[in-house]
Amino acid sequence: MNRKVLILGGSGFIGRRLAHRLLAGGVLQPVVASRHAGLRLDIRDAAAIASALRGMDAVVNAVAGSERAIAQGAQALAQAVQALAQGARGAHGPRVIHISSMAVLGEREGRLDETAAPGPTRAWYARAKQQAEAHMAGLARAGTPVTVLRPGCVWGPGSTLWVSRVARWLQDGRLGDLGEHGDGWTNGVHVDDVCQAIEALLAAPSWPPGMGLFHLATPDSPRWNTYFRDMALALGATPLRRIAPLRLRLDAWLAGPPLHVAGRLLARGADGVALPPPLSPGLLRLFARQQQLVSERATSQLGLRWTPYTTALHQGLAALDQGICRDSRSALARNSGLPIT
Amino acid sequence: MIEDGSHWPAGTTLRADLCVVGAGPAGIALALSAAARGRQVLLLEAGRAPLDPFAQSLYEGEPANDDANEGLAEGLDEGAGRGSLHATHAPPHRFRMRGLGGSSIRWGGRCMPLDPIDFEPRAWVAHGGWPIGPEDLAPYYAAASEWAEAGHRGAPDYDSPTALPHAPPLIAGFNSEVLLTRSLERFSCPTDFGRRYRRRMQVEDNLRVITGLACTGIRLAPSGRRVASLALATPQGRRLSVRAGEVVLATGGLETARLLLASDDVAPRGVGNRHDVVGRFYMCHLAANLGALQLAGEPGDVRHGYEVAADGVYCRRRLTVAPAHQRHLRLLNAVARLHFPEIADPAHRSGVLSGLYLARRCISYEYGRRLQDTAPPSLAQRARHVANVARDWRDTAAFLSHWVRRRSLAARKFPSVILRNRANRFSLEVQAEQVPHPDSRITLAAGADALGQRRLRVDWRWQPQDIDSVRRTLEVMAGELARGGAGRLRFDADRLPQDLLRYGAYGGHHLGTARMGLDPRTSVVDAQCRVHEVDNLYIAGSAVFPTAGQANPTLTVLALALRLADHLASAPAAAAAPPRERSAA
Repeated sequence: MNRKVLILGGSGFIGRRLAHRLLAGGVLQPVVASRHAGLRLDIRDAAAIASALRGMDAVVNAVAGSERAIAQGAQALAQAVQALAQGARGAHGPRVIHISSMAVLGEREGRLDETAAPGPTRAWYARAKQQAEAHMAGLARAGTPVTVLRPGCVWGPGSTLWVSRVARWLQDGRLGDLGEHGDGWTNGVHVDDVCQAIEALLAAPSWPPGMGLFHLATPDSPRWNTYFRDMALALGATPLRRIAPLRLRLDAWLAGPPLHVAGRLLARGADGVALPPPLSPGLLRLFARQQQLVSERATSQLGLRWTPYTTALHQGLAALDQGICRDSRSALARNSGLPIT
Repeated sequence: MIEDGSHWPAGTTLRADLCVVGAGPAGIALALSAAARGRQVLLLEAGRAPLDPFAQSLYEGEPANDDANEGLAEGLDEGAGRGSLHATHAPPHRFRMRGLGGSSIRWGGRCMPLDPIDFEPRAWVAHGGWPIGPEDLAPYYAAASEWAEAGHRGAPDYDSPTALPHAPPLIAGFNSEVLLTRSLERFSCPTDFGRRYRRRMQVEDNLRVITGLACTGIRLAPSGRRVASLALATPQGRRLSVRAGEVVLATGGLETARLLLASDDVAPRGVGNRHDVVGRFYMCHLAANLGALQLAGEPGDVRHGYEVAADGVYCRRRLTVAPAHQRHLRLLNAVARLHFPEIADPAHRSGVLSGLYLARRCISYEYGRRLQDTAPPSLAQRARHVANVARDWRDTAAFLSHWVRRRSLAARKFPSVILRNRANRFSLEVQAEQVPHPDSRITLAAGADALGQRRLRVDWRWQPQDIDSVRRTLEVMAGELARGGAGRLRFDADRLPQDLLRYGAYGGHHLGTARMGLDPRTSVVDAQCRVHEVDNLYIAGSAVFPTAGQANPTLTVLALALRLADHLASAPAAAAAPPRERSAA
């Protein structure tokens, strides 16, 4: 194990999974950096990142969190890599894999491949991801090998966002069959397939010049209504409810904000208080959005073997049964096997 | 993309790889499916908005009702001598809606597949038998159920024991191998396809939907073997045209025949009509509330209303005669539902029914027809209805509240009025197949619509065999119910013709006018729904049904449309015209 990979945001859903897989693979040595575990660093601090990057062959940016963490983190990463490259005089610094999101495409609808430009958006998350991509593009222009991955909804075992949270909504009768308001595409992708794409990139001896860009959504990933229905039937949250649009909007606009605030307040205090997760207007827009990622490039160039949708669904639900879906922080605390350099 | 073409200049020529005429459930499902598979599709809809008055007026026609019900008064024998009988048929602009979504703008949502026996040739059904079998449609029924939001693709289950594993049986303790109670009908929301799939149509790059242009003719190439173009007209009468590689008519059972017959410039008898089959074999269903059924046992042992399946879909059980016994007794297919007694007669003492009767003017034509067509009630009758409502106010209020919550305000609507069963007393709501007959037919009338296209003349007929089959079906039902000790069914066999035909043809089921078959001399389209005589013309919809079965047609219409989409998307496009330019010629 001589080649090292720094994983920024290593305590997140993707970062954690990637670290485990790399460790199990035994070819690349993952070094995890996050605010909470592993190499603790402030991902907005370019100097700190630069020092963490020394000796690394590659860096995977899986930082999630706030708007500032995402956008400024990417900026700091770009600065750090560039500084290293300049210091190395000619030889470039580590290769960069940046995990972006379909959110970058904003409100754009239709079948979208990698030639689609970022779209207009009202969501802070999408704006932050757009800014982060822009920093990566700048880095690529300066000569660093950069690849950006744009996954859809990343699910599979352990997904809080798209498995346990959705399961709760279904069990509470807040989601169900949404009619035309749930007609959007999930663009779901198994977390292992995202890791597979990263591993394929890390294993490639060289990358073509310029910024690489790949959409990641399982080709058979369904529309939201189908996902909700399949999950409700599997959970026994039946009969599946048809949710009227007015009810959905009330839930998101009226119940959403107080739940959000209460959730934040409680998160500072005792662990284990389970408030109903809030629905947000942004989520409602996502459920209705007819935005379908086309991932043929990942299939052909990265040789991805996609995990079928139903496998992802059932693995996610099986993990839910075993209580694996917890807050990523406490999950990480239990995982003591992670390497800390 | 959805555009309004009603203001486009005369002479505009549209080009398309595949042109679908009519944006009802069949047209929308077919166009979106073919577009998703890479075909460049143009979908035309005459209505600019739901129930667009101008487009709707183009539907007006002439029911051949001048001698309607003639022979009925004298009874069945009189008619039997003539071979077939006229009867009332709703005016052709009723039960058909224009605008995106077509007639799904106002449908009831009842979905069930055809039964396997419907596809078989049956010795006792002249002109029966389909060139395809249930196995050809099975995968498309699954997809069709999903499109109609009546059940999911994995398992749209129309069989009670598996679909409703926890629901008690229709009649507790009743078991018969002859009279079955396990067959289900499932209910769509009811889904308005124009609203439900509007966004999909807007974002689909391979699809262009144009509203406000009526198709007024099919122009064949001089050889007669290909459609050269379609004639279109704006509401102001400006003429446009479409040149398309392939054309699908998804215009419903009446308008399909009208278009084919009216397009007689190259083929003198009309397109696809060399053997005079177009417009013939027109079928609807016979439907009526019949008889008095007194079930034994406790009201709690009877589940006459709706059950909710795990997927949230309302389902209802029906009584059917097992296929083996249909064969044995040479019956036409039919179903019966447990229904409430006759609504106009205040003797039922139900506040809910009296309330509905008093409010009948508030119900749309399509659903209130049977109430509105009855003789106006006498003052005394009206008073008795009011008295029913007053006496039964608790039930009436409970019903109203349920109706408002579960129907008016619900996104998935409670399908119909179900009354609390107090005394195990029901009538049977029968829906029955009629045998196809060449004399029951659509022709062109002398008059023309505002765009100059000749109007429809609907000459719907029934056969004595149709009535006789219902009579014998009821006899089987009565016998089996009595044998099993489940109850007693009484009906007046002599009054059956009047009862079954009082309101004429069951509205909205327009079947058989361009029937599917292997022999071009006795059918209009082949097993792939392609017009025998024209290489690039297809028909999607109920016009192709060779027989009617017992089922409401929409689910089968969708299944056939999806099957056709599959065929059109898989087969190499015959001659793909360059798509999408629009030019003024």
